[in-house]
Amino acid sequence: MIGYVPGASALHRAHPYTPLAIATGLFLMAFAVSAPGAVWVVVAAAALFAASAGVLGTVLRPAAILALPTWVLLTILHGLLGGAPHVMLGPVAFSVAGGERALVFGGRLAAILLAFLTALATVSPARLVEAMTARGVPFGRVYLLVSTLTVVPRLRARVRRIVDAQQCRGLRLGGSPLARLRALGPLVVPLVLSALAEVDEQALALDVRGGTARGRRTALDPPAERRADRAVRWVVVTAVVAAYAWKFLGAGR
Amino acid sequence: MSSAPGRGHAVRWEAVRFAYDGAEALRGVSLDVPAGTTLAILGPNGAGKTTLTRLLIGLLRPRAGRVSVGDWDVAAKRPDELAARVGYVFQHADQQLFERTVRRDVAFGPRRLGLGDGGVERALGELELLGAAESHPYDLPAPARKLVALAGVLAMEPGVLVLDEPTAGLDRAGRDRVIAALRRRSVEGVTVVVVSHDLAFVAEVAERIVVLREGVVVADAPAGRLLGDAAALAPLGLEPPPAAAVGAALGLPGAPIRVGECAAALGGVRWRGAGA
Amino acid sequence: MALDAVTFAYPGAGTPALLDVSLAIEAGTVTGVTGAVGAGTSTLLLVAGGFAPRLTGGALSGRRDIATNRISIVFATPWTQLTGLATTVRAEVAFGPASLGWPRGSVLAACEAALRDLGVEHLADRDPGTLSGGELQRVVVASVLAMEPELLVLDDPAAELDPAGADALYALLPELARRGTAVLVATPDSERLARTAERVLVMEGGRVARDGPPAAVLDDTDVARIAWAAGCPAPYPLDVAALVARVVR
Repeated sequence: MIGYVPGASALHRAHPYTPLAIATGLFLMAFAVSAPGAVWVVVAAAALFAASAGVLGTVLRPAAILALPTWVLLTILHGLLGGAPHVMLGPVAFSVAGGERALVFGGRLAAILLAFLTALATVSPARLVEAMTARGVPFGRVYLLVSTLTVVPRLRARVRRIVDAQQCRGLRLGGSPLARLRALGPLVVPLVLSALAEVDEQALALDVRGGTARGRRTALDPPAERRADRAVRWVVVTAVVAAYAWKFLGAGR
Repeated sequence: MSSAPGRGHAVRWEAVRFAYDGAEALRGVSLDVPAGTTLAILGPNGAGKTTLTRLLIGLLRPRAGRVSVGDWDVAAKRPDELAARVGYVFQHADQQLFERTVRRDVAFGPRRLGLGDGGVERALGELELLGAAESHPYDLPAPARKLVALAGVLAMEPGVLVLDEPTAGLDRAGRDRVIAALRRRSVEGVTVVVVSHDLAFVAEVAERIVVLREGVVVADAPAGRLLGDAAALAPLGLEPPPAAAVGAALGLPGAPIRVGECAAALGGVRWRGAGA
Repeated sequence: MALDAVTFAYPGAGTPALLDVSLAIEAGTVTGVTGAVGAGTSTLLLVAGGFAPRLTGGALSGRRDIATNRISIVFATPWTQLTGLATTVRAEVAFGPASLGWPRGSVLAACEAALRDLGVEHLADRDPGTLSGGELQRVVVASVLAMEPELLVLDDPAAELDPAGADALYALLPELARRGTAVLVATPDSERLARTAERVLVMEGGRVARDGPPAAVLDDTDVARIAWAAGCPAPYPLDVAALVARVVR
């Protein structure tokens, strides 16, 4: 499930910028470290982040689905093309060093996915709009960001309707890979076309409701910025700076 | 419009129950619709009308009871298999358009079923879409796209036609074409089930009306009887269509409910000039 | 708002959608527009409201005087008119006034007034995504009214509504006119136009073919058709009472 999941955890109640800051911090940390063990510590931290928001179960599945193809590819590529030493897996010579590299890249991917999916799950689009408005962010940018975050659930409903309609015209789902490929056209094209057709009307409606008005929007219910929010963000910044300092100073030695 | 023997199938719901996430939508509905009948289903929003029709095309499965189209038990078939007998026209059908031209899109369904193109040309002609047949569907205005989607289902020559709010958003001319097409199909013996708020339209096409409320059938009567009865319609929040209202106001013989019948019943009447 | 000999064509279109259209709309009136699909009714609304060519592109010639910029438009399909950013109806309705930068108190007051006008106060805390089409359209109209427009343009606003909902919506229009708003509504529903509008423009091929009171200009309600088919002389009665009055008994 990709998208906002209502909840009552501390992260849900925090200022919307806080989960985003934590996710960004985890992203940066994942690249600050290079040993497989360290990378997977970051992954564990991301999992902890998700668990503390009560969404670990919800984000694990989409994270796995998104990560799996890349993991397989990484393992095969690095395993086959990596340098010595090798280990024999059946008929294939599998590079240990390559395997380690695969673990590092795979771990980074896992950490990033878990972190950002958790941020998506805990940041309510409505509260994010209010937070950004209160900070004076121009509405155009707010809308662009929030629409991107909510695109998946919106599209899912539309896809369901299209699948239903095309089935009723005799389109068979499933079957051979070739049949599935041919079924993509009648499913994807209406999705894109109907979405585009609505964009005009939606843009007009938004304009009419003052979406393009210049001048500052009134924030009606801006989320509170508490000391805890600021404290957490400082911790994140400090941790990231420290990690990069260690990385560059350690490399220089 | 007679229930002539023809290519229609009888449709039957037997003690059907259905619930969405625990909220009961249909609470034991039984309806027997002989082949070739045109049935209209009325009722407030949330009464279960759309649920009832979606069971016919296999998009929903009943929790209890049985739904059959002719000799087919719907539960044993997939929606794309049922499409050989049931043509379902969605209320916002234009989300299914995807081909580069109107003609190709209308031909999509018939091709899936292995039918020739005769039905396609016929449907395009009936709905006066021949002039737009080579246009891209999304170059046409929304009401025209709705007619294209309807043509796509008519072209599949189904024995049962199910339509959800077919006249919503259409102008007068579009409505007239839909009425004519449904009447023609009915004469050929096709079973037609229509869900609609538009009582004037229902009067023009339906022989029988069933009213649903909160998942149960609260009325089941011939159209002529129910639509002319203001007292029966009032508790449903409905009013008789104009033709029936004129008939009632003037006490016309035959209690007409259709524009044509009403005008005929008024034949021989003398008129004052306007402002007289 | 006034148009003088306005011709307008969409970008890339061969023929103009509006040809030599002149009309004037005053505050406190309900003006109806009708016509076959493609006759230019929707385009007239967009041009009259100042949305074309500003947001659609295209070429406009002739004069257009719009005395206000508090103009709102309502379309037929409710869900494309939601901002998608609100989790409650109240937030959705408050979006417009908040965008105008009104002080918080004014925003909330306008919001409550609009919800009351449309009879949807009981939906204020609901998620717009869970509402039916009829309820949603009422929320959309409330959202637009909350901005207190001086010109309200509606393009077939009741297309998705059931009869009761449509009646309620159209009954609101003369009430808004009474409060001083200028209302311009396009619909193929001649029956409702006859009951609601003081004046109706019938469009044909991009031109205004007829312009006047409903009784003089409309002829395609069911009652009018019945009268015509039964031999009644023009002009045809538009509703049951008018037809009964014309019959010699």
